[in-house]
Amino acid sequence: MDTLSIEARLVERAKAQDEAAFEQIMRLYADRLYNYILRMVGNATDAEDLVQETFLRAYQGLPQFDGRASLGTWLYRIATNLCIDHQRRRARRVQTVSYSEGEDEEGEPAAWDFPDQQTPNPLEAALNRELEAVVEDAIDKLSPKLKTVLLLYDVEELSYEEIARVLGIPIGTVKSRLNHARTQIQKAVAAYLDDAPLSAQARGIK
Amino acid sequence: MRCEHFERQMWAYIEGQLPDVRAFEAHLRACPRCQRQLAAAQATYRILHALPRHRAPANLSEQVRRRIAAAPARPRFDWARMWRRVALAPALGVVVAAVWWGWQTPPHTIATDDPTEALVELHEQLEVADWSPSPTLSYFISTGYTR
Repeated sequence: MDTLSIEARLVERAKAQDEAAFEQIMRLYADRLYNYILRMVGNATDAEDLVQETFLRAYQGLPQFDGRASLGTWLYRIATNLCIDHQRRRARRVQTVSYSEGEDEEGEPAAWDFPDQQTPNPLEAALNRELEAVVEDAIDKLSPKLKTVLLLYDVEELSYEEIARVLGIPIGTVKSRLNHARTQIQKAVAAYLDDAPLSAQARGIK
Repeated sequence: MRCEHFERQMWAYIEGQLPDVRAFEAHLRACPRCQRQLAAAQATYRILHALPRHRAPANLSEQVRRRIAAAPARPRFDWARMWRRVALAPALGVVVAAVWWGWQTPPHTIATDDPTEALVELHEQLEVADWSPSPTLSYFISTGYTR
């Protein structure tokens, strides 16, 4: 049985008030949605709240879910709407409440799981870590529209068609937003590579 | 090939989706600036696809169950939809009045000869307006999402 039909059966069972089936749906999507939401909103406390809210809305919306979209597409759509709404509210709050520079409203640093990265030499490993920070920082700076498409395609690895369905936009718009988003990040990486001493050293030893 | 053209094709090249790479690679060999751009794009692509993935908190499903238990049962009455209908009612009244007025006045004052077409057009305009300030909000409503 393929993934889609397994999911369709889970949805049918969850609709029929089968708690174990909904539990299974949460297990299937918890990490994916949390990873996506955390990168969308940038802090662990809000991400945790929003992923819970996503599943709550999914639970409440199950009777209306007609299976025309896949379960994943539907869940990403709920999560995306919640994230964008959250960012709007936060933008309003920041505009009206505080402009103080350097103030950390992001809360505690997240206890993130970094997988072991096998890299051939310490210099390249260090460069990779720095590049990763540059990329993460550049992602944070993207507008919500560009960030959503970039994360769904390059990080969550949804297809163009799936993203078009999640966001309700044409595939051409998905591709063009993806190009813009990648190019913005690439410019940050290019600026870093031109200036970074580590990068010069890494290039020098090759 | 010019540098802007090169940059437009860069992502397709990295993903192996460029059908003919000859012009692209010829420019690449000749242009140090584009070599740097491509190196940065390749690094970007590699890092993006290897970003560390974050795991959901271990107690997530327990927290969701708690919120489900605490949430009021989903209201059978959809206030958002009802509000849109209530808001639409006076507007439809105006449309009906306009069409009725159109029937009563000489033909040369009517925008279109066919009153049904006029009604459809006005209705479409009302649909497009959707009573919301932005397309995004109307999208949220159409996907069943309300604040």
